[in-house]
Amino acid sequence: MKFLRSPRATPYLLLLPAIVVILAVVLVPLLVSFWTSFTGYTLTKPATLFQFVGLRNYQRLLGNADFWWAFARTIMFITIALNLELVLGLGLALLINKITWGQRTLRTIMMFPMMFSPILVGFQFKYLFNDAVGLVNNALFDLGLIHEPIAWLVEAGLANFSIIFAEMWMSTSVFAILLLAGLMALPKEPIEAARVDGCNAWQVFRHITLPFLMPFIYIALTIRSLDVARAYDMVKIMTNGGPAQRTELLWTLMTRVGYQNSQMGMANAMGYISIIVSIAFTVFYYRKLTSARAFMGGAQ
Amino acid sequence: MSASLTMEKPWQRWLIRFGVFVAMVILVVPGAWVVLTAFRPNIEILARPAVWIPHQLTLRNFQGIFGLLTTQPGLPVVQYFINSLVISVTSTVVALAIGMMGGYAFARYRFRGKGALFLGFMLSRTVPGVALSLPLFIVWARIGLIDTELGLIIVYLAINVPFTIWLTDGFFRQIPVDLSEAAQIDGCTRWQAFWRVEFPLARAGLASAAIFAFLTSWNEFALASQLSRTTASKTLPVGLLDFTAQFNVDWAGMSALAVLIIIPALVLTFVVQKQLIAGLTFGGVKG
Amino acid sequence: MSNKLTMALLASCALGLLGGAAMAQDFDYGKFDGYTLKVKLIGGTQYEKLYTRIPEWEAMTGAKVDIVSSKAHFDLDREIKQDIASGSISWCVGSNHTSFAPQYGDLYVDLKQHIAQAELDKYVPGTLASAMVDGRLVQLPRVTDVSNIYYNKALYADPAKQAAYKAKYGKDLVPPETFDDFKNQIIFFADPPNLYGTAFAGKDEGMSGRFMELLRANGGDIFDENWKPIFNSDAGVAAVQWFKDIYDAKAVPAGTVNYGWDEIGAAMAAGQLAIDLDWPGWASYFSDPASSKVAANLGFAVSPVGTSGHRGGWSGSHSFSVTEQCDNIPAAVSFAVFMTNDESEMMEATAGNLPTRSKTFSDVVQWFKDNNKPALAEMFPIWQQSLAEARTPPLIPQWIEVSNVIWPKVQAAIVGQEEIKAALDEAAAQATTIMQDAGLLK
Repeated sequence: MKFLRSPRATPYLLLLPAIVVILAVVLVPLLVSFWTSFTGYTLTKPATLFQFVGLRNYQRLLGNADFWWAFARTIMFITIALNLELVLGLGLALLINKITWGQRTLRTIMMFPMMFSPILVGFQFKYLFNDAVGLVNNALFDLGLIHEPIAWLVEAGLANFSIIFAEMWMSTSVFAILLLAGLMALPKEPIEAARVDGCNAWQVFRHITLPFLMPFIYIALTIRSLDVARAYDMVKIMTNGGPAQRTELLWTLMTRVGYQNSQMGMANAMGYISIIVSIAFTVFYYRKLTSARAFMGGAQ
Repeated sequence: MSASLTMEKPWQRWLIRFGVFVAMVILVVPGAWVVLTAFRPNIEILARPAVWIPHQLTLRNFQGIFGLLTTQPGLPVVQYFINSLVISVTSTVVALAIGMMGGYAFARYRFRGKGALFLGFMLSRTVPGVALSLPLFIVWARIGLIDTELGLIIVYLAINVPFTIWLTDGFFRQIPVDLSEAAQIDGCTRWQAFWRVEFPLARAGLASAAIFAFLTSWNEFALASQLSRTTASKTLPVGLLDFTAQFNVDWAGMSALAVLIIIPALVLTFVVQKQLIAGLTFGGVKG
Repeated sequence: MSNKLTMALLASCALGLLGGAAMAQDFDYGKFDGYTLKVKLIGGTQYEKLYTRIPEWEAMTGAKVDIVSSKAHFDLDREIKQDIASGSISWCVGSNHTSFAPQYGDLYVDLKQHIAQAELDKYVPGTLASAMVDGRLVQLPRVTDVSNIYYNKALYADPAKQAAYKAKYGKDLVPPETFDDFKNQIIFFADPPNLYGTAFAGKDEGMSGRFMELLRANGGDIFDENWKPIFNSDAGVAAVQWFKDIYDAKAVPAGTVNYGWDEIGAAMAAGQLAIDLDWPGWASYFSDPASSKVAANLGFAVSPVGTSGHRGGWSGSHSFSVTEQCDNIPAAVSFAVFMTNDESEMMEATAGNLPTRSKTFSDVVQWFKDNNKPALAEMFPIWQQSLAEARTPPLIPQWIEVSNVIWPKVQAAIVGQEEIKAALDEAAAQATTIMQDAGLLK
């Protein structure tokens, strides 16, 4: 009681509502699912919630090739998507920053894809890439570029390309808007000084703009790595992991095992492994961010 | 900015404009196609051979949604809209309040476990919705939050609070402590000093946190589809699935509903454009 | 039971309609004034038409119906599982399906205990038998699905095509009677990208089911009598080979391995397919000129036989079930019976669905003749034939799970990612583990 009134308690009190919310929505469910990952929990048989099977689920996963393929593919998916989104988002931000008129409209258009719910993006690209009646194939046919349909969502390389493309369409804007904010905060003096000293555009970008943008880049990467799992809704609609598990990601595999096969215990074991992957990405970018901040002389 | 532009040669300027144009086309076309689909009859879309120039534009799909056609029952789209609005706005406002308190604590106080707590908040967002959905469902079912607006509001709070904490933390840090101390010497309480001095300066940051929080809640599907079931709490993105049945997907109807989802978000984004950029600029970086 | 009888008496007196003889025959729907019945029903226009009869039941019984959920089957399945997991079964009647029903354990009551045998005798016996799980009648069938052939008559009537087919295969060009003919015709007709021989559901239970159908037509099966997975037999390899042949010949859209029912139906309606082995539910859509380009040329045929001389006859029924935890089981049973009674079945049948009551079959043919829909009148007798050899997937809780190991491997074999035999062996090994875990296979 005494502690609560002391000034030392103030920050904790201020943080209390946030902590309570996170505990209720994330931590408690997480503990529940942690327990179930050691049981043979079957969704349709509530009694199995207490059927302890030790590490069986994890052991089976270790020997399950489908799981590890999905695991590897998920890491590839996140890595490729995030990096391409970063490069394109940076390019987009640099371009838009050069245009002086209609900024507000341009920026709104730039953020247009952010208005689309991931599930909508899924349907949209499923139909765009449909091999028989999709917009893309129709356009290629009518332009005379192809004479037999391209199976966008079937052939292994193309199917993965398609889901990554959809993911990039959906999320590049987030990078662009965050980096544009960074560009607009860019101090003018060092650039002008560099120009006077005879640096060319590339040198200015490489030695002044880019280092200044680094913290923004890591912020964007951290934010995106946090909610990249949103892509699940989209992939589920587009391919749901198929065909022949060519686009299977941890998220699609997990949902099928958990809900359709009712094996929630096993699904949650997968969930834990996937959480570790997400955490690894986030911690990695967050550390980069902290060091980049330190480089700017700001943070502790 | 204008200074840098003057250094470009005309061909460079045209190149930039062309680049912007191409980028905009790529960003807009897939989305605009959805919007166009909403105004076309079902037989013209997804056709082979393709119908490039619409033979007719129609409001039928919208009439269908609102139940103005005799051939099909309408959707409770007004109720979905109200649910979405109530859930998104409430969770955004409360997330801002809670997040701001947290951000202020991180920016202004030193306390034990600070670094770990901050990272903990960030990491809470890495948990994929799919992993959370069932346990959350079971817990929510026990305490009667399934299919209630409150149930979804609380979930979205948890999604939005960490990001808000992060942005506001950065903002409060770059406001010099002296300002609020000066106010306190002038007789303000710390509380008054916060509202008179620090809050106004942090407003842009809050605006950008708000738009991100709003868009996240407005478009969220994975958890909403699990936790909502009827018109009591169903949101617009979940309503999109009303157009899918065992054997067919009414893509035109779905597109029409999509347009109704997109418009409010687009208008809001356009309106807060300026604050959004300003907010993000100073937010997370200058720790 | 006596309570029920009194109610029956009261109701019949009140209505003053039923004679003593009729009372033994006609189902009594009871009176439930002020009661609200909570139901979870399958959604979609095709299924919702029947729900327009709900007010009639409400008026008759005095109860109210609250549709607490209405969604596609996989979503409904997920929702019901969540309800079981969280112990929140607060509703009474749920839409069900023969393929899903075994999963739900004792969620639903045995309707044999609640409905007189005389009433149950009105249902098609085979259909009712496939609605049983472990000897319990857990669902009342509402419409039956058996796969049958739709074809584009215009293509078959074209003299040039007839001559060419005869020259190539030495047979007349008529709808296929065997899977070999079926394959030949699919490849013969294909003229991509505007016309394909056919398209098949290449994922989810659709793929597993089609595979099972062909496997059984070739004399194989998913399990032996001891629940040992045996689908990696020669018959299984031949079945997958069939799909692979038409896929490799590019006679089906390449995207077919990613298609669900919606895409296949859309392609058939768009006139892109020559033949479509599909569900009865499409008949009214395909025969409606407003939605279908093949409406004027729609032909119907029974599904082909395999090397064993039999049909695979993949079938299943949509149905209604009543929960054990229902607070008013008589009301729920009354509702389920009402939704599958003669009038309801007639409504389903006139929409082109295969009804589940014997009487409806003859009634509906007359109705189609009277209402000038000769195509559909012609369809019913043809499809009734296929009911004779209809077979459901194994009625065990593990079917969906086993299906989920089968279809990805079949897909992998079709697209050439794995050898057929190796892919099936792998799936069979996984299925064996599932059956062992379930304790069905020792």
